[in-house]
Amino acid sequence: MSVDDTLNTYSAVGGIQHEEPLLFEHAHEAAEAISLPGVQGDISAELKAFSRKKSANIPGLSEPETVRHFVRMSQWNHGIETGFYPLGSCTMKYNPRVNEQVVRLSGLANIHPDQPVDSVQGVLALLHELQTWLCEIAGFSDVTLQPAAGAHGELVGLMMIRSCLDARGQQHRKKVLVPDSAHGTNPASAALCGMHCVELKSGADGRIDLEELKKHLDDDVAALMMTNPNTAGAFESDIKEICQLVHDAGGLVYGDGANLNALVGVARPGDMGIDCLHINVHKTFSTPHGGGGPGAGPVVVNDTLAPYLPVPRIVKAGDLYRIETHDEQSCGTILGSIGQVGVLLRAHAYIAAFGANYLHKIAQDAVLNANYVLHRLKDAYHVPFEGLCKHECLLTDEYQNKHGVKTLDVAKQLIDLGFHPMTIYFPLIVHGAMLIEPTETESKTTLDSFCDAMLEIAAQCEAGDTQVLHDAPVKPIRRRLDETQAARKPRLVW
Amino acid sequence: MRFLPHTDSDRTTMLESMGMDAMSDLFTDIPSEFHIKEGSLNLPDALSEAAIVRKFTQASEQNRHAGNTRCFLGGGTYHHFVPAVVDYIISRGEFLTAYTPYQPEISQGTLQTLFEFQTMIARLTGMDVSNASMYEAATATAEAALMARRITRKSKVVMAGSVNPRYRSVTQNYLSRLEGEYIEVPMGNKQDGFGTDLSKVIAAIDEATACVMVQYPDFYGSVYDLAELRVACDAAKCLMVIVFSDATAFALIRSPGECGADIAVGSGQSLGIPMGFGGPHLGLFTCKQKYVRQMPGRVCGMTSDADGKRGFVLTLSTREQHIRREKATSNICSNQGLMCTAAATYMTLMGDEGLKAVAQRSAAGLHKLISSLPASVSAAQGAHFHETVLSFSSQATRDLFLQEARKRDIFAGIPLEQLNDAVEHKHLLVTTTEMIEAADIQDYIAALEVAV
Repeated sequence: MSVDDTLNTYSAVGGIQHEEPLLFEHAHEAAEAISLPGVQGDISAELKAFSRKKSANIPGLSEPETVRHFVRMSQWNHGIETGFYPLGSCTMKYNPRVNEQVVRLSGLANIHPDQPVDSVQGVLALLHELQTWLCEIAGFSDVTLQPAAGAHGELVGLMMIRSCLDARGQQHRKKVLVPDSAHGTNPASAALCGMHCVELKSGADGRIDLEELKKHLDDDVAALMMTNPNTAGAFESDIKEICQLVHDAGGLVYGDGANLNALVGVARPGDMGIDCLHINVHKTFSTPHGGGGPGAGPVVVNDTLAPYLPVPRIVKAGDLYRIETHDEQSCGTILGSIGQVGVLLRAHAYIAAFGANYLHKIAQDAVLNANYVLHRLKDAYHVPFEGLCKHECLLTDEYQNKHGVKTLDVAKQLIDLGFHPMTIYFPLIVHGAMLIEPTETESKTTLDSFCDAMLEIAAQCEAGDTQVLHDAPVKPIRRRLDETQAARKPRLVW
Repeated sequence: MRFLPHTDSDRTTMLESMGMDAMSDLFTDIPSEFHIKEGSLNLPDALSEAAIVRKFTQASEQNRHAGNTRCFLGGGTYHHFVPAVVDYIISRGEFLTAYTPYQPEISQGTLQTLFEFQTMIARLTGMDVSNASMYEAATATAEAALMARRITRKSKVVMAGSVNPRYRSVTQNYLSRLEGEYIEVPMGNKQDGFGTDLSKVIAAIDEATACVMVQYPDFYGSVYDLAELRVACDAAKCLMVIVFSDATAFALIRSPGECGADIAVGSGQSLGIPMGFGGPHLGLFTCKQKYVRQMPGRVCGMTSDADGKRGFVLTLSTREQHIRREKATSNICSNQGLMCTAAATYMTLMGDEGLKAVAQRSAAGLHKLISSLPASVSAAQGAHFHETVLSFSSQATRDLFLQEARKRDIFAGIPLEQLNDAVEHKHLLVTTTEMIEAADIQDYIAALEVAV
């Protein structure tokens, strides 16, 4: 059957799991349009002259059909509310429902960004408080809430570093050092800032090698971008020396805060010498991932970089909050609004729920869970770097390769066993990476059943019972999808 | 702590299984000088769920909002009607709490919805293809400029001064660290100084130009003919980029595709997403098919599975940073997934007719308002969609009117100088959507008559 064949069976296919056609295949005349408020009058004659000629051809479904269509779509998804989601570097933790409730209050959801400032003091107070909390938690002196995502935060961080170096008369510094274990967004962000990356080869323990670092530190260095704990799940214990070396060479240190969940309430990146850090609030502070976004990536900075923060900025003057839009030294405007406010408010509610007295338990339980999983799996799967891990643990498929089984097969078999797979083939510094991040919101029972599943897969390999692994998954609504076909002849619209 | 499932005995059991005595054994790889004492952060103590609800409710009640006022504010963010179904669908945990669909077998819900979203956005804008969204309109505008530079291998960007000042400043900032010229063409048509004078934009195009960026309808709400610009772009072999701030317009007026855009980007916030004090909104990114491999951001494509059944995956990933690293088309590695789901749900409920009614009523509101203005207040000339500039005799008059309007729970418009400091302080950018009723316009006019 070719891809273009319409699926003509809309009946239940397994229990009450349904096939569901595309909207555009719900073949009937458009339903009666939804009733709307508003002025039912003429538009101007001038505007009429610009009328659209051909209809957009957007099918209108009735309300019951729309609900059923999208509810069925939702049932083809796995979410953190459905089950375990141990994606390394993604921090898939439980998203509290109360956060969803409070951000929908009309006085928070239905405010226009250009309302007079006296009419938005409530939301500004919440955002301002979040600013002070993020600085306190990460150990920095100032912050911008504006960046719309982690990668956007990276870009803004590098813009500030650029402005700072320019102010020091060091326009020539354009080299950004990036460990080979870094997220792929790091070099892409540097390129957007007119800088170029030099890759640092990781040491034998998966950490930054001080000698390798020293080799690259010269008068051209603008910054080191580092993730700590790194993407192998290991804490860079030489962090103080690393920052010192970069500073002595005249560069600045950018922290990728994707892995802050390992440190929250336990240690502060700002105390270690890092100059700025983006915080993925959709990871550490549990704002829902929404199938790919929206997130938010506030950037906290120390005194060195504070003058270069982007505008607009929320400031408090006496009892009043206001929005400052001009600043000579600022690195500029980076978003069309003050930020992804709804996301930031959820982060506020999350931090408030833990408070000073419980915040450290996030990192403690997250690190406990990762080490527990590592401990249970370390004999059955190859562990490339010995020692403690932080909030995530790294395994490889080296033992399974002997039986012709790869990381991808392990991942797909996990699906049939009822678990979302871990992050696979990242970081790139080991072959066949499996990066497992359980987070603190999983129970021991869940961790044990996941580990049992992983051990069962390893045992299947040892027993030579591998065909089932290559065939997996067979239980979801779709089996392995042909990604090559999708990329070769891209079909992006119906 | 209610979000943490472990009991203390679970923790002890797990630590003991690893031969550890205490939680601190898990953190010995962090130099001791960096350990902070448990509970020592300068934060308030934990709030109960009830206390969080109380705190947020109090904050919410301190704000005025579109639920207890009449909102005539626009300028890129609009108060349109959002049906209850939209929020219900995006509240479902399977959409809300899923990650990026990297494991397509168990993410077909997100993926098929993205494919439907891309299809409907392409149809609404009249363009060949859409990506799976950008953060918001300003950064999408900047990304469109970067894309045009890649496609044409030229570097000069010509920006019309009638593009939203926020989109302009983000684009200018993104380009400022890269080589190449960026020109903003001062705007203002002959009649009133607002709107778009295409002849000035066309005059700025030369052989080095990668793209010309115009907003349509422009920042001042003006709708105008782009045919001459299309001809000029063809002559100079540069791309025409159309930026827009309210996608519902294209259910009523000529779409960017019909105007000949090579790339069209803008805001999809109007498609079922609340104003939310500026975000999260929805950036839309569309282009001609032939440019698809230079498009930034995620994109979903159709394929088949091992049994030959139709399915969907994220595709064209060789453009992206995890493969291309510093040569990637963009550093973006997320999208506004949940907002795409909202927009897809909204458009499905609306259909062509509903979307057209939204646009029609938004425009009809403005027409009614302009027709009722007292003589001493003038509105910008020419075709306008749902926003325009009102000009007063003086700043004092305008500000008096704003006060009179506030007394009637009306946010009457955005003082233009707040967004564009080059203009006199006596103008107001005013917007109507279908959420403005005839009675609201009467009240608006009544406040005007008191003030002027």
